[in-house]
Amino acid sequence: MKPPHSPPTWATRLLRAFCAPHLLEEVQGDLEERFQRRVTLFGERVAGRQYAREVLGFLRPFALKRRPNDFSQPVSINSLMFQNHFKIAWRNLIRNKTFSAINVLGLALGMAASMLILLWVLDEWRIGKHHPNAERLYRIMENEIADGRIVTDEDTPGILANELKRVMPEVEYAANMVSVENVLTAGTVTTRQKGLYAGADWFRLYDVPMLAGTAQTANSAPGSIAISENIAKTYFGGAQRALGKTLRFDDWQDCQVTAVFADQPTNAPDQYDYVRNWQDFMRMEQWLTRWENSGPGTRVLLRPGADVANVNAKLKTFLKGRNKDINASFNIELFLQPETEAYLYSNFKNGQRDGGRIEYIRMFVGVALFLLLIAAINFMNLATARSAKRAREVGVRKVVGAGRASLVGQFMGETFLLAMLALGLAVITVAVALPDFNTLTEKQIALPLNTLESWALWLGLVLLVGGLAGSYPALFLSSLSPVRVLKSAVRFGPGTQRFRQGLVVFQFVLSLVMIVGTLVIYQQLRYIQQKNLGFNRSNLLRITREGALIHQYPLFKERLSRMPGVESVTFLKTNPLYNGNTTDGASWPGKDPTVAIQFNNTSVGYNFVETMGLKLLQGRDFSPAFGTDSSNYLINEAAAKRMGFANPVGKPLTFWQRPGTIVGLLKNFHFNSLHVAVRPIIIQLKPAKQPEGGVILVRTAPGQTEQALRSTETLYREMNPKFPFSYAFVDDDFAQQYRSETIVGTLASGFAGLAIFIACLGLFGLATFTTEQRTKEIGVRKVLGASVASIVTLLSKDFLKLVLVAIVIASPLAYYVMQRWLADFAYRIDLEWWMFAGAGLLAVSIALLTVSFQSIKAALMNPVKSLRSE
Amino acid sequence: MPMAGRTFFYKTESNPETMRRTYLGEFEEIVLLTVAVLGEGAYGVAIADELESQTGRAVSLSAVHAALHRLEEKGMLKSRLGEATAERGGRRKRLFAVTVLGTRTLSDIRAVRNRLWEAISPQTLPAFGI
Repeated sequence: MKPPHSPPTWATRLLRAFCAPHLLEEVQGDLEERFQRRVTLFGERVAGRQYAREVLGFLRPFALKRRPNDFSQPVSINSLMFQNHFKIAWRNLIRNKTFSAINVLGLALGMAASMLILLWVLDEWRIGKHHPNAERLYRIMENEIADGRIVTDEDTPGILANELKRVMPEVEYAANMVSVENVLTAGTVTTRQKGLYAGADWFRLYDVPMLAGTAQTANSAPGSIAISENIAKTYFGGAQRALGKTLRFDDWQDCQVTAVFADQPTNAPDQYDYVRNWQDFMRMEQWLTRWENSGPGTRVLLRPGADVANVNAKLKTFLKGRNKDINASFNIELFLQPETEAYLYSNFKNGQRDGGRIEYIRMFVGVALFLLLIAAINFMNLATARSAKRAREVGVRKVVGAGRASLVGQFMGETFLLAMLALGLAVITVAVALPDFNTLTEKQIALPLNTLESWALWLGLVLLVGGLAGSYPALFLSSLSPVRVLKSAVRFGPGTQRFRQGLVVFQFVLSLVMIVGTLVIYQQLRYIQQKNLGFNRSNLLRITREGALIHQYPLFKERLSRMPGVESVTFLKTNPLYNGNTTDGASWPGKDPTVAIQFNNTSVGYNFVETMGLKLLQGRDFSPAFGTDSSNYLINEAAAKRMGFANPVGKPLTFWQRPGTIVGLLKNFHFNSLHVAVRPIIIQLKPAKQPEGGVILVRTAPGQTEQALRSTETLYREMNPKFPFSYAFVDDDFAQQYRSETIVGTLASGFAGLAIFIACLGLFGLATFTTEQRTKEIGVRKVLGASVASIVTLLSKDFLKLVLVAIVIASPLAYYVMQRWLADFAYRIDLEWWMFAGAGLLAVSIALLTVSFQSIKAALMNPVKSLRSE
Repeated sequence: MPMAGRTFFYKTESNPETMRRTYLGEFEEIVLLTVAVLGEGAYGVAIADELESQTGRAVSLSAVHAALHRLEEKGMLKSRLGEATAERGGRRKRLFAVTVLGTRTLSDIRAVRNRLWEAISPQTLPAFGI
C-alpha cells in the first residue's frame, strides 16, 4: 500500500543518485518514516522541506562511498599491465617504421613551429609589462577631432605633465618626454646615441633601477643628464666613475652626469641611453609652452586604487578652457592608454582602438594551432586507417577482461609516448632554429629550459597534442566489439572512412588558407616596393643636418653640388618618408572660417623638386632668383582640392600668419607610409641662411653612388669634423618602414610551407596504407591488362578529389581573411582569382606528387610477386 | 561486519597496562548509549527520536546514520536488517545492537568518569541551585 503523501520526488531522485546502493534501503526507509510522521504533525509542505534538508544532510563521505565490488575489477594502474602496454606500444612503433616516422616527424615539426610561435608571442606579450608598476602606468593620448576626422596620436602639450600632477590627485607621477638622437662627446669618444628629454619624474614613474645617483635627482636640474650603464662604460669606464663628468652634446651643450641607470631591456618599448632635463628642452622649444601646441608624449603613474574611468572622464575635457583653439569645429580629447597595451594596440581608427601588433599575435597563434591540428590529424588518420591491424589485439584484450577505460588508457598512453618523443625532437629543432629565427624576427629570444613555467608549457603542449591526436583513435579502437573483430577480417563502414576524408579535407583547407595568405602578403609587399611614391627614392642619400652644418648648410650645399657623382642637394625639415606635422594654420580667400582644415606641412631648401624627383604640374620650384620666395608656397594636388582651387598657382595663401602666394602645384606624392592615403600638404621655403635642423638630401648620379658617397663623406668630414659621418639611403629607409610586414611575410611563407609539408606527410601515409591494402587488387588488374597509367589514376583519384573539395572550401575563407589584412593598407592590391587558383594548383600538384610516389611504385610492381604469396 | 583486523584490537586491549581504548566522540558515545537503551528496537529513526527527547536537541538522521556507521566500523555495534513497515514505504530497517567491545568501551568510559567524579572534593565545584 502506498501512503497518501509522498516526499518531494527530486530529493528522492537525488538521494538515489548519490547514496551508496548498500545503504540506500535503510536510509530511504528512515527518511520516509520520519517524513510520514511529520506530515501528520506539521503538514506536507513543512515535512517535504525538512525531508529535502535531511537528504542533503546525507551528502557525507560515508553515504557517498561505495562498497568494494565482490567481483575483482581490472586495475588500470598495474605495473605488469603497464609494462605490457609499454612493450606493445614500442613494438608497434618499431614494426611500422614508416608510419611512426611520419607521425613523430609531423608532430615534431608542428610542435617545433608552435613552440617558436609561442616564444615569439610571449616575447611580444611581455613588452611594456616589465615595469614593476606596469599596471598603473599610462600614456596620455589625444583624439584630435577636426575636419570630419579623428586623428589619434601621442602628441600632447609640453606642459601637460606638470599641470596633470598639479590638478589631478589621482596622478602620482607625470612626465613629458621626447625621443631624440644626438652626438655625444667626452674625451676622445664620439658616438651617436638615442635618448630622451623627460620630466624629472621619469625614473620614479618607470621605477628604473639606478646604479649611481638617485631617481629623484637624476635629471631634475637643468644641464643634468642621466646615462645608461652602457654609455657610462663606453665613455667613462664604469657607473661610479661617470658621476659628475661632463658630456658634450652635438658639440654645442655641456651636460653633467648626475645619475647612471640600468640598461633598458632590449624589448622595452622606449629605447634610450640617456635622459636629459625637461626644462632644457622647453627652453629650446618655446612654442611648446602654449596649450595650443602639441608634440611631446606624456606619461603618468596613477596612484594605487585610482579610478581610471574617472580620470578618463576628466581628461576628455581637460584641454577645454586651456587650449584657446578649441571650438565647435575643433576639439582635442585626451585619454589614457595603459602602458601594457601601448605596444600591442597601437592603431586607432576614429578614436577607437583598432588593433596593431595584436593582430599579428592573433594570426600567429592561429597558425600555431593550425599546424598542431594538421599534425594531430595525421596521427588520427593513420591510427584509424590502420586500426584493422590493432583490432585483433583489442578483441583479445577485451576477451580476457580489459575494460574500455583501460584500453582508452593504453591507446592514449601510446599517443602521449609518441608526443613525448616528438617533443624531444621539437625542442632540439627549436634550439637549432632559434638563432636564425631571432635574426629574422629581430628579437633575442632564448629557449627557456631551466624554468618550471616553461616545462609546464611544454608539458601542456604534449597534453594538448596527445589529447587532440589520441582521443579519437583511442575511443574508436576501444569501442570495437570483440565478437566482430575476432570472427572475421575487420571491415569498417563508410562512416569512418568519410570521417577520415573529412579530416584530410580540413587539413588541406588550413594549408590552402595559409598558402593563399602567403601569396597575398608577398604580392602586397611587392606592390609596395614597386609603387611609385611620386618621387624618386633610389639614388637618394640622406644625412642629418647637425653640428656645423646647421649654420653652414648653404656653403655645404654649394660645394657638394659641384662634387663628382652628385646631381643636386636640398634640405628637408622632416623625414622624406614620415611627416607627422599637421596644422590648421592655413587660410585663403573663400575659406570657411569655422572649419579647421588640417594640413601636413614642412619646410625645404632650394632644389627641392629637382632633388626629390617630384613632378610639378603647374608653376615652379622655389628659386633664389625670386627674392620673395620665403613667403611663397608649394602645395600638392590633395591640398589644391581641399582648398577648392582648380588652378592654384598665383592664388594667395596665408600660412601661420604669413601672407604669400602659391607658386607651384605638385603631383601627389607619398610623404607617409602606404598605410595612409596622401593628405594635403603645404611646403614653405626655409631660407638657406636660417639655421635649422633636419635632413640633407643628396641626389646621386645613376651608377655613381660610390663616388657621390665618397664626395659627401670627404666634404662632411672637412666641414663638420666633430660629428661622426652617418648616412642612409632613402630606399633602405623605405624597406625599413615595411619591416614588420616583410618579417610577417617571411614567417608566413615558412609556416605555410610547413603546413603543406605536414599535411602531405599524412597524405603520404594514407597513400602508403591504401596501396598496401590493394596490392592484390592491383596485381589482378595488371594480369587482366590494366596499364600503369590507369592504375596510377585509380589510386590518385580519391585523394585528388579531397584536395579539390578543400580548394572549394578554402577559397572564400582565405578571401575573407586576406581582405581584412589588406584593409589596413590605403594602397593595396586587389585579390584576384589567380591567387586562389595558383594556391590550388600548388596544393594539387604537391598532393599528386606525394600520392604518385606510392601509386607508381604499386603500379610498376610485378604482379607475380604481389599475387604469389598468400 | 567487523573484519579480521578487529581481533587484533581485542588482544591489545586485554593488556590493562598498555590499554588504549578506541576513541569515542561525545555524539558517538551518546548514540552508543541510546542503542543500549532502546535494546531490540534500535534503528535510525527510533535512535534519533530518543536522542531528541533525551537531550532536547534537534538531531538529523544523517548525523545519526553517520555515527552508527562509524561505530559499526569500529566494531562497537553490530546490525541486521529487520522487518519492513508500511510507513517506511515497504523498506526494511537496520536494527543495531551493542557488541562486547561496545559494552566494554562504555563501561571503560564510565569507570573513568566515576573515578574523576570521586576525585573531586565537594567544595571545589561551585554550587548551583537545587
